[in-house]
Amino acid sequence: MSGLSMETATAATLAGSPRPARHRPPASGISRFVDSGLRWACRGAAATILLMLILPVSVLLIQAWPAVHRFGAGFLVSSEWRANELEIPVRDAAGKIIQKDGENVTTIEPPSFGALPVLYGTAVSAMLALIFAVPFSFAAALFIVRVAPKIKIAGPLSFLIEFLAAIPSLAYGLWGLFVLAPFLATTVEPALISTLGKVPFLSWMFFQDVEIAGATVRRQLPAAGRDMLCGGLVLGIMILPIITAVSRDVLKNVPRAQIEGSLAMGATWWQSCVEMLRYGRAGLFGAVMLGLARAAGETMAVTMVIGNNNQIVLSPLAPAQTMASLLANEFAEATDGLHGSALLYVALILLVMSLLFNIVARYLVVGKNSRTSGAH
Amino acid sequence: MPARRDNPTARVTSNVLYLICTVASFVIVGVLILITGYLVSIGISSISLDFFTRVATGDPNDPGGMKHAIVGTLMLLGMASLVGVPVGILAGVYLSEYADDSGRLNSAVRFTADVLSGLPSIVVGIVGYELLVVPMNRLFDIKYSGYAGAAALAFIMVPIVARTTEEMLRLVPGSYREGSLGLGATKAQTILRVILPAATGSVITGVMLALARVAGETAPLLFTALGSRFLTMDPSQPFPSLTAQIYTYATGPYEKEKQMAWGGMLVLIAILFVLNMLIRYVAHRSVRKFQVS
Amino acid sequence: MTPAPTSPTSPGTAAPAAAPATEPSMSAMPLVSRPVVGIASPEQSATSFIDAIKAGKPVTSAVHPSLLKADHIVKVDDFQLWYSQNKALHGVTMGFPRSKVTAMIGPSGCGKSTLLRSINRLNDLIDGVRVAGKMTLSGDDVYAPKMDVINLRKRLGMVFQKSNPFPMSIFENVVYGLRIDGEKRKSVLADACESALRAAALWEEVKDRLKGSALGLSGGQQQRLCIARAIAAEPEVLLMDEPCSALDPIATLKIEEFIRSIAGRITVVIVTHNMQQAARVSDNTAFFYLGRLVEYGPTADIFQNPMLPETESYVTGRFG
Repeated sequence: MSGLSMETATAATLAGSPRPARHRPPASGISRFVDSGLRWACRGAAATILLMLILPVSVLLIQAWPAVHRFGAGFLVSSEWRANELEIPVRDAAGKIIQKDGENVTTIEPPSFGALPVLYGTAVSAMLALIFAVPFSFAAALFIVRVAPKIKIAGPLSFLIEFLAAIPSLAYGLWGLFVLAPFLATTVEPALISTLGKVPFLSWMFFQDVEIAGATVRRQLPAAGRDMLCGGLVLGIMILPIITAVSRDVLKNVPRAQIEGSLAMGATWWQSCVEMLRYGRAGLFGAVMLGLARAAGETMAVTMVIGNNNQIVLSPLAPAQTMASLLANEFAEATDGLHGSALLYVALILLVMSLLFNIVARYLVVGKNSRTSGAH
Repeated sequence: MPARRDNPTARVTSNVLYLICTVASFVIVGVLILITGYLVSIGISSISLDFFTRVATGDPNDPGGMKHAIVGTLMLLGMASLVGVPVGILAGVYLSEYADDSGRLNSAVRFTADVLSGLPSIVVGIVGYELLVVPMNRLFDIKYSGYAGAAALAFIMVPIVARTTEEMLRLVPGSYREGSLGLGATKAQTILRVILPAATGSVITGVMLALARVAGETAPLLFTALGSRFLTMDPSQPFPSLTAQIYTYATGPYEKEKQMAWGGMLVLIAILFVLNMLIRYVAHRSVRKFQVS
Repeated sequence: MTPAPTSPTSPGTAAPAAAPATEPSMSAMPLVSRPVVGIASPEQSATSFIDAIKAGKPVTSAVHPSLLKADHIVKVDDFQLWYSQNKALHGVTMGFPRSKVTAMIGPSGCGKSTLLRSINRLNDLIDGVRVAGKMTLSGDDVYAPKMDVINLRKRLGMVFQKSNPFPMSIFENVVYGLRIDGEKRKSVLADACESALRAAALWEEVKDRLKGSALGLSGGQQQRLCIARAIAAEPEVLLMDEPCSALDPIATLKIEEFIRSIAGRITVVIVTHNMQQAARVSDNTAFFYLGRLVEYGPTADIFQNPMLPETESYVTGRFG
């Protein structure tokens, strides 16, 4: 376009305008100042964004260092989470508690922290969420792309999905806490226990081995409502809209020629859908990763419904804890240095994990698009 | 060569899966409408004039209203925008106008912005605590504060505003830039007088998107603004917000306070719905503008 | 349940462009029932025919006598098609002779691709498409309500403008048609794959990497792979929609060689922008303009001795 403006300028000169060219003053000092000011302001803002990643990571690293130093990688596999010191009576060889001056002789166990239960809780609740959400999301995305346009409801449906994706997770938590959890506790879980609970093969879902006074007792789990199952369900419902919206965009971008190519071969509706899914598989995997990142990092909804029990229990009917819910529950009360440091260690793991998920997801979903839209 | 044959199994499979996809879509929509419908219907019953005009009393039998929380959320959003919007827009301008497209710094910034918008909000809250609350406590004897809460929200807003601004500025035709620069305008004049005005609608869309995202956030506020029962205009104090108040009420033991939580959620969803409609309206208009030109 | 939104609906208001010529028995009647040469009178100039079309006046196609008696595998009778409000085909009547190569030429937007995609009903996928008139494949009404679109498409092969191999192995691409038919016997699949690849002159180039991804092939190879996929199960008609428009001259040559090599065995209908290509590969050529069939005859006649001056103008590059 600059070429065009030059052309018009030349044309005006050639036309022999009698008016002498107006002498334009050189750019003033102020405009030069504004020019470099804006450039530096923009650079500063861009640098701020970089700082916004570097600062948190370094702060978390520094603050978590005592725990990192103390527990190392063993933090990831230890399942003990105890913020208080433990006094243990010392026993002699016969097993009798040793007494001295009328008092028990004790040793002090220092506080101990391990992230395994929350890692487990996060992984299992996120997996449950994906198991609930992904089939529905893909089905709905196919519906929106392949069926809805024919009955003229693609627009409203898309708006609905996008609006639902914008509803805060607190709302899903509220619903989960007051509607879903009681419903699970009074209706679904008792029904499960009375039917599947009798299947010997599935007993791990309904029983828990508890150690009481040195003996292992097999205990039937109560229908708690606020448990891993509820957490997974709420998370699943919460990530439905986002996975649906992203996979819809992925499927929409499958070239028409791919669909027509398979239909022209006499493929059925579903066979041509399979071709779409195959063509968009990287993007769809990215959509799932995005959902996984959401589910793993989600805080409020999970904290409200998962039961917040810092133990590993195989059963989905047992209360559990995720990294995010642990942080929400304990961070404000963590006065002790090591406790706080251990929590920040957990936060660091959560941060790194969500970075990884997001990097993979973004690379798969938007990698190609953003590169093509890069040019002016 | 073999001739093609009919495959009845494939036909049955196709029909079944067609049905499943249809049913699954309606189930999703049904469940999600059920949830929001439930929130709305319960919420409406707990909304009255008192809800908007009174502040929390602390009395479980007469919890008062949510005025403090609504005002608090609006103020937090305002303060967060004051910081987050300029920084976000400037960073977006940098990515679109100043950065060398193939430059390593540029892609690092863009990548960071992308990754930041996926950060778990609880991590933002904790970082806000460590970076703001702790130092401010040492320096000024301010512990939890509205400042820290607003900063945590701004932290979430910046990458969203930056990336949408960048995308939108890229839609402004290159001829605008060349036309302006060709007349001897400085780069700043070009950006401030031609490019940003041309993309105003789209930039506003980005800002509203960011607002919609942070308006519903709870976790970043837990350890920064903390929440409060009082109506306050002093951001150096623990600051009330709708979400924190809803969370406190919902997880508390009192029936009437739970009612208030439902009402608060309804107000929040209403705000988000209006924002969403505005976003669609503005986005639609501004995209159309470039399609015409 | 399979979505097929567009059933042949007859818009009662739209009068056929030419005299309505729907006679009771399609198979018994000669293909073109209307006057063969309706407009080629000496006093008419090139502009007058075009003007008549532009004014929306009924025009009659000039069809060479040799094509009236031919054995047509696909017959089109007064076929009309609308994209929502826009009429894309205005009563086309013609036939595609069995085991011959027929080229469709004409400027962009003349309806040649639309007609091609109507034969295997790919236009069904587009919103708001309506059709009227009749089309038959080996005597079966393509747009009959009871016509099974999937089986119809299994009888037809199609090659697209841009090659569209599926993101899977070369082997799986070629046997795709058999796979979706439920064929599982390895030997059948392997035989079909080899013979189709040989027919498409691709066998020697890919026989050592049949398990490799089809996306690793060059553009020309990909297009020949798509041809192999289309002919792997011997379609009654091979539809080609500008198959060379995205290819370089050498790749184009290979595809033209393929078309010549199967001439006489498979019926081919090819849409092309390239008039030299039509002249090189086809037995018959049909010239379309603004949704009408203008002239249709043996390729040699169309290019050297057309009936209508406007056809001559187009093939010599003076308009279009």
